[in-house]
Amino acid sequence: MITVHNLHKAYGSKTVLRGVDARFAGQRLTSLIGPNGAGKTTLLMMIARLMQPCAGTVCLEGRTVAGIPVGEYARRVATLRQSPDFNLRLTVQELVAFGRFPYSRGALTREDHQVIDEAIAFLSLQPLRHAYLDELSGGQRQMAFLAMTIAQQTDYLLLDEPLNNLDIKHAVQIMRALRRLCDEHGRTVVLVVHDINFAASYSDHIVAMKAGAVQCAGSVDEVITEAQLGELYGLDFDISQGPRGRLCNYFNP
Amino acid sequence: MRRLQPRLAVWGTVTLLALVFVFLGAGMDVEYVIPRRLTRLGAMVIGGVCIAWSSITFQTLTGNRILTPAIMGYEAVYLLLQALLVLLLGTSSVVLLGIHGNFLLSVVVMLVYSWGIHRWLFRDGNSNVYTLLLVGLVLTLVIGTFTQFVQLKVSPGEFSVLQSFSLASFNRVQPPQLLYGALVVAAVALVGRKSLATLDVLSLGRDQAISLGVDYRHSVRLHLALIAALVAVSTSLLGPTAFMGIFVANSTYALARTFRHRVTLALGSAVAIGLFIAAQLLVEHVFNYTTTVGILINLLCGGYFLVLMVRTRGAP
Repeated sequence: MITVHNLHKAYGSKTVLRGVDARFAGQRLTSLIGPNGAGKTTLLMMIARLMQPCAGTVCLEGRTVAGIPVGEYARRVATLRQSPDFNLRLTVQELVAFGRFPYSRGALTREDHQVIDEAIAFLSLQPLRHAYLDELSGGQRQMAFLAMTIAQQTDYLLLDEPLNNLDIKHAVQIMRALRRLCDEHGRTVVLVVHDINFAASYSDHIVAMKAGAVQCAGSVDEVITEAQLGELYGLDFDISQGPRGRLCNYFNP
Repeated sequence: MRRLQPRLAVWGTVTLLALVFVFLGAGMDVEYVIPRRLTRLGAMVIGGVCIAWSSITFQTLTGNRILTPAIMGYEAVYLLLQALLVLLLGTSSVVLLGIHGNFLLSVVVMLVYSWGIHRWLFRDGNSNVYTLLLVGLVLTLVIGTFTQFVQLKVSPGEFSVLQSFSLASFNRVQPPQLLYGALVVAAVALVGRKSLATLDVLSLGRDQAISLGVDYRHSVRLHLALIAALVAVSTSLLGPTAFMGIFVANSTYALARTFRHRVTLALGSAVAIGLFIAAQLLVEHVFNYTTTVGILINLLCGGYFLVLMVRTRGAP
């Protein structure tokens, strides 16, 4: 379980987070939702230790993360930011192999190769194994990066808008893969997501943020209500319960 | 085996060039000509390794393929030092300090400069490489202006001495300097060798590197320090080389077809050494010393830099 307590972050006079308290249950999939500028990504980056809070603490299973060495943390928590663009020419397999760096520091063992194979197989990326990243579509590239994160074999996965710029098919593939990681492998997944319907369909818990603070948090049933979402986004929501789950309609007033 | 070929070809070419350079028209004169040429060859090897290593790791740290460590102002500091020496001591400074004195003083001044800006920039946990670049660029401009101001104060004769310092050349090099240079390069290689895999991870960018368990701040500081040492050696030995690092790094990426520093650093050194030898051969045997290595290399690498800029812009 990850807990954050009284987290503050400000850039000069602009406050991004004002006293955030939240809990992310172990072996569950938690979505962070909320309007742009609510501080979702900032919160996630602080849990990932990519940003330092001005005040407050982040605890991983009761231990403050600031006290955990960065090398050890990489074997507990893996982070995937929005599809990073770099001009490296490397294949899917080479990228996934980077996921083993926290363990082997670059010299891959037989076990590492096995884990890499499993991660690639988990996302059915075998046909793209030797393809170069810059020749892939955005969705395929995102899958490759996710495979690297999976190969890191951490109990916790943090993802910042993994569905950004993906078509609906790839988005469903990614979300199903995350769900399976959670259910079959007992991993804890925390992700920032903008699509309410994806969050409602695949999450166990939802943390809704607005203006640098947690507005409400709880199970999907508790958070995905017309009243809560209407207040969160300032839009008129209509939530219908169909045979295949909940559907939030906010497109027309 | 197909992947090995470009590397073998590059090393083969370099060896061939080196043999031609040492023996062409030497008449087996082992008393004077060949030892002198070996000294210059040694300077090219050390300079080549310094330039390739510093440029490639610098581009990895900054995630940018059109930068060289020159943007941090090391060469500007070197030129200002030379200008000040000439201004204060006159042309006799060359005699007064001796060629070794000047070499060692230059190395020390550049190291102190880089230590100062790294220390100042990383003082409060800040680890933003872009701030470093910006400060480096501004300092380069400021120091360059000072140098110009000093140049206006010196006499035309002193100015021509100064001018000779501002272009790369192998003719100033003395064997003892090679020894100091080789020692520094060996020390850097020993320290850097352990973190080649970390460098590979750093090329994924800051966030991904931290997420994969790299102590980013520590690694960046370590590699910037190594770069500073290498640039100090190559600049004091040969003079400023400006665009050469960009050319060397980019042609290495194209030849190596891998991001692994284990490969690119070695291959890059070969490319840089080959380029130096080819330029020196041209100067000695084609242009009959009417031009200098520095000018030839700046011409080639500057031209390549322009092509790179135009092509990058044209790309979608």
